[in-house]
Amino acid sequence: MTVDIRKKEGVTILDIEGRIIGSDSLALKNIIDEQVAEAEEGEAKILLNLADVRMVDSSGLGIIVATYTAVQKKGGRIALLHPGGNIRSLIVMAKLVTIFDRYEDEDEAIASFHRSNN
Amino acid sequence: MGAAIEQVIHLELPSAIQHVYLLDTLIVDILNEMDFDEETTEQVILAVIEAGTNAIKHGNQEDLNKSAHFKFIIHPDKLTIIVQDEGNGFKREEVPDPLNPENLLKSSGRGIFLMESCMDSVTFEQSGTIVKMVKHKSLIEQKCESV
Repeated sequence: MTVDIRKKEGVTILDIEGRIIGSDSLALKNIIDEQVAEAEEGEAKILLNLADVRMVDSSGLGIIVATYTAVQKKGGRIALLHPGGNIRSLIVMAKLVTIFDRYEDEDEAIASFHRSNN
Repeated sequence: MGAAIEQVIHLELPSAIQHVYLLDTLIVDILNEMDFDEETTEQVILAVIEAGTNAIKHGNQEDLNKSAHFKFIIHPDKLTIIVQDEGNGFKREEVPDPLNPENLLKSSGRGIFLMESCMDSVTFEQSGTIVKMVKHKSLIEQKCESV
């Protein structure tokens, strides 16, 4: 798994590639925790780009859920971009459909962060 | 017509979580060889990764002196996977339901649920140190192969 981090209009975008299974989950958690910790209160805007992720297991899903909780506590927001592969069905199976905002267009996803500020 | 021959593949992994990748590689090859469809392949890969992670992490507590044992039994119409750890076992009925509203936002506890959701049958034996999972090929796939 590799993770590239970029900022766009105040949103931190994590471009994740590969699989989020086994020890990848802990590595991803450390990266995300760092981003959330750096964000000011109410300014944690995290967009996970999952376009190039082919497999997520329960530990990977757990990290995404933990990020949602951590970001919420900080008054921020997390959204998922291109949740393909098995992630979509995992989210449905785990009854997390209403928890995560999902987008197929990056600009639309970024705009949603600014709308939710209004 | 000759009797269908089962093929059995054994794998033993030291209890380090990074070895789950080897499991991923092996099961992908087995499923491709068996010609499972894409959706079923994803389901079985996930179930095997979850079972392997459970054996290494929860069963063997990542103790490198312990191994996780895998047996893949390839039948013409189904795949049976048996995973055994060297831990103390657990009681399936004591594992909380991850779909219970109070557990939905927990960061762990979905592994067994996903295994049971993805496979046709999942049974636990010897105090939970052995898990046996079965996935059948769909009738459509079997018909296609018989043409």
